[in-house]
Amino acid sequence: MIDPMRPHRLQQISSADNVERLRWLRDQLHEEMYALLPTQPVEEFNEQLNETHDALIIRAIMLAEEEMARMGKGPPPVPYSYLLFGSGGRREQTLSSDQDSGLIYRDLPGREEETKLYFLELSKHIVGNLVAAGYPPCEGNVLSENPDWCQSLQEWRERLGRWFREPEWEAVRYLLIIADGRCVYGDTGLADSLKSMFFSDMLNHPVILKRMIENTMRHKVLVNVFGQLLKERYGEDAGSLDIKYGAYIPMVNSIRLLAIQSNIASTSTLERIKMLVESGKLSREDGDAYEQAFICILHLRLLTTEQNEDQLYAGNGKIHSSKLTKEMADELKKSLKQGKRLQKAVYKQTMGRLM
Amino acid sequence: MIKKTFLALGLMTILFPVVAFAADPSGATLDMGLNSLWVMLAFILVLLMQGGFILLEAGSTRMKNAGHVAGKTIFTVGLAALIYWAFGYGIAFGGESALSKFIGWGDFFYNAPTAAAEGDSYPSGVFFLFQLAFAAISLTIAWGGFAERAKLASYVVFTLFYVGLIYPIVAHWIWGGGWLADHGAQDFAGSTVVHLSGAVAAFVATVLLKPRIGKFNKDGSANEILGHNQVFTALSVLILWVGWFGFNAGSTVAIGDGFFTYVAFTTMLAAGAGGVAALLISWAVTGKSDITHMLNGTLAGLVAITASCAFVEPWAAVVIGLLAGVLVFYSVKMFEKLKVDDPIYALSVHGMAGIWGTLANGIFATQELADKVGVGQGGLIDTGSFAQLWVQIQSVVVAGAFVLVASFIVLGAMKKIMGFRVTEEQEIVGLDLSEHGVYGYPEQLKKPGQSVQG
Repeated sequence: MIDPMRPHRLQQISSADNVERLRWLRDQLHEEMYALLPTQPVEEFNEQLNETHDALIIRAIMLAEEEMARMGKGPPPVPYSYLLFGSGGRREQTLSSDQDSGLIYRDLPGREEETKLYFLELSKHIVGNLVAAGYPPCEGNVLSENPDWCQSLQEWRERLGRWFREPEWEAVRYLLIIADGRCVYGDTGLADSLKSMFFSDMLNHPVILKRMIENTMRHKVLVNVFGQLLKERYGEDAGSLDIKYGAYIPMVNSIRLLAIQSNIASTSTLERIKMLVESGKLSREDGDAYEQAFICILHLRLLTTEQNEDQLYAGNGKIHSSKLTKEMADELKKSLKQGKRLQKAVYKQTMGRLM
Repeated sequence: MIKKTFLALGLMTILFPVVAFAADPSGATLDMGLNSLWVMLAFILVLLMQGGFILLEAGSTRMKNAGHVAGKTIFTVGLAALIYWAFGYGIAFGGESALSKFIGWGDFFYNAPTAAAEGDSYPSGVFFLFQLAFAAISLTIAWGGFAERAKLASYVVFTLFYVGLIYPIVAHWIWGGGWLADHGAQDFAGSTVVHLSGAVAAFVATVLLKPRIGKFNKDGSANEILGHNQVFTALSVLILWVGWFGFNAGSTVAIGDGFFTYVAFTTMLAAGAGGVAALLISWAVTGKSDITHMLNGTLAGLVAITASCAFVEPWAAVVIGLLAGVLVFYSVKMFEKLKVDDPIYALSVHGMAGIWGTLANGIFATQELADKVGVGQGGLIDTGSFAQLWVQIQSVVVAGAFVLVASFIVLGAMKKIMGFRVTEEQEIVGLDLSEHGVYGYPEQLKKPGQSVQG
C-alpha cells in the first residue's frame, strides 16, 4: 500500500519556512507513522520514514543557510557536503534517532581560517534547528558543529591517514563511523572522495580489519546457549530486551565489516547484504536468511520504547518482553540465531584472512 | 656444622636427662592427646569461619553498614558462647531423661573437666567448644536475613532464643541421641542442623522485615543492590573454604584410622565442582560468567557436601557439588522472583544447598561408608532402597518446619513488642551511624548534616 500522504508531506516539508513549522510537521509525521506501522511491510515503512527524515534534515540545513545569509555571513564560500553517520547514514533512523553528523568542504587556499569559521557557525545553526525539530544531539559529540567533524577535504584526508597509521581504539571507532557516512545534502562529490580515500587506505592496511572486529564484537547477541532470550534482569528496564545493542547493532556491525572487506560503499544494511550476494561474497541462501533476520529486527526496533525528554524524540532501544507475542518472540529468536551465526562467520572469515 | 649439632645434642642430654628416661605414655593417652588436638584445631578453624562470614556479609552489602556488619558478628559470637554455655549445650547434649527423644536436659552452666576422663577419647571441654562453634555458625547464617535493616537489639534477643533453644533442639534430634538419630538420619557435619536451620531462620527474618528500601520497584521488578567489595566476598569464600576442613573433617572428632582425611577429600571435590558449575550455568544462561554466582556455587558445594562428606564416594561428591552449583543459581533467581530480599544469598546457599546435601545422602550414600560411620544405611544407588532417602526427607521437613515455626514465633513476637526493623531514615543513613554512631569507612562517607565546608 502506498501512503497517499507521502508526496504531500514531502512537499510540505520542503516548503516549511521556519523551524517551528518543521517541528510541527515532525510531530504530524509521528502520528501518521504510528498509524502506518502495522499496515506496511517493514522495508517500505523504513524507506518512507527515512526519506521523510532526510527531507526534514535537508530543510533544516537550507533554513540554516538562509539564517547565515540573513545575518550577513553570505552564502557558503565553497561547496560542501553534509554527512549523516550512524543510523541516519545507514538510512535506518527510527522515530527516535539522534543526530550524528559531519561536514566536508572544499579547500579554499589562503582563506582557511574564515572558511572554517563559516562552516562551524553554519553547523551550529543546523544542529540547533534539528534539536528544535526534536532530534537529540549525539552523546559522543559526533556532530558537525564539533571542529573535529567539520573539516576541509584536505584536512579529512590527513585525519583519515592518521587514523589508519595509528589505529588506536578511538581511531578505529571513528573509521567505523566514517564507513556509514552518507551525504544527505550538498556536493556528493566531496563525500565520494572521502569514501574512495577510505577504501584505498583500507586496501593498504588490511590489518585494520582485525582491530575493527575487536572494536565491534563486544556487543553480543541476546540469546544464551539454550536459545533463550536474555532480558534485562534489574532496574527499571527489568524484563526488557535490548533490541538496539543485543540484536540490531551486532548485525549492523557484522554486515558492515563484510561490506568494508568487499569494497562495497553502500551504507544501508539491507543494501549491503544485497551487494554482498551480488558480488558473490555471500551465498544467496545466507543473504536471504540474514535479510529476513534483519527485517525482523528492524521491525522490533521500530517498536522499542520511546522516552521523550526535553521536547526531544529519544528512545532507549529496548522493548519489554511482555509486548512481544509468542510468534514475534519465536521469530526474534530465529533471527538472533542467524545474527549469532553471522557474527561467528564474520569473525572466522576476517581473522582467517589475516592469519 | 655436623660437629656443632652433635655437640649441642650432647649438651642437651646432659642438661635434660629426664627426656631420655621418662616413662613412655600409654597408647591410649597418646590417642587421647591426638584426638584432643585434632578437635581443638577443628574448633579453631570453625571459629575462624566467622572471619569469613564477616567478609562475606560486609562485602555483599553496602559501605554504610560495613562496620555494623563486622562488629555485630563478633559481638553475637561472644554472646552465643555465654548462652550456649549456660543453656544451649544442656539442651543439645544434656543427659538422659524421659524427654531425651525430643530434648536434652542437664549440663547447664557446663563445667568442663580439667582432663579427659578414663576411657574418653578426648576431654569433653573440647567437644563443647567444637559444638559451640557450630551453633555460632548457624546463628551467623541466620543474620543473612537480618542484613542492612534489623535493629541491633533484635540481634541480641534472637541470639538468646536461637542459641539457647531453637538450634540445640535440632542438634539434639540429629546428633544428641534424639528421635531422628534413632531413625538413622545422616547429617555428618550439619547440612541440616547448622545450615538449613540458619537459613530457615534467615528466611523468616527477611520475610518479617520485608525487603530493603530500593530492592524492588512498584511494578515488582528487582533492582540490583551490589555489594561494596567483591574482593572481600571472594576472600570470605576462601576463608570459609579453609575453615570447612575443620567443620567437616573435624566432625570425625577422632584421628582414628585417618578417616578424617577422606572426609576432607570429598569436601574439596564438592567445593570445586560447585564453583565450576555455578560459573558455567551463569554464563550459559545470562551470557556473562558472574563472579557472585561462582562464589555462591563454591559455598553451595561446601554446604551440600557437609551432610554427605563421610557417606559418599569421590565421584558422588563431584556430582553433589555440581548440582549444588546449578541449584544455587536458579534458587537465587527464584527468591528474587518471589520478591524475597536475600541480601547475602543465605537462603539459597545455606538453605537450598543444605536441603540438597541432606537428601543427597539418601541417593548417594554407600552401605560400606554408612557402616563405617555407624549411622543409617546406604542410599538409593548403592542399595536400591528408598529407606534412607525417606529418613533424609523426614529430617529436612521436620527440622525445617520446626525452625520455621519457632523462629516465626520469636521474631514475630519481637516485631510486635519491640520492633524489628530500623526506621526508614536510619536505614538510609546506614546502620553504622544509626546503631553505632560512626561509619566503618569514615573517610568515604559523610555524616548527614556535615557540609563539605563544615
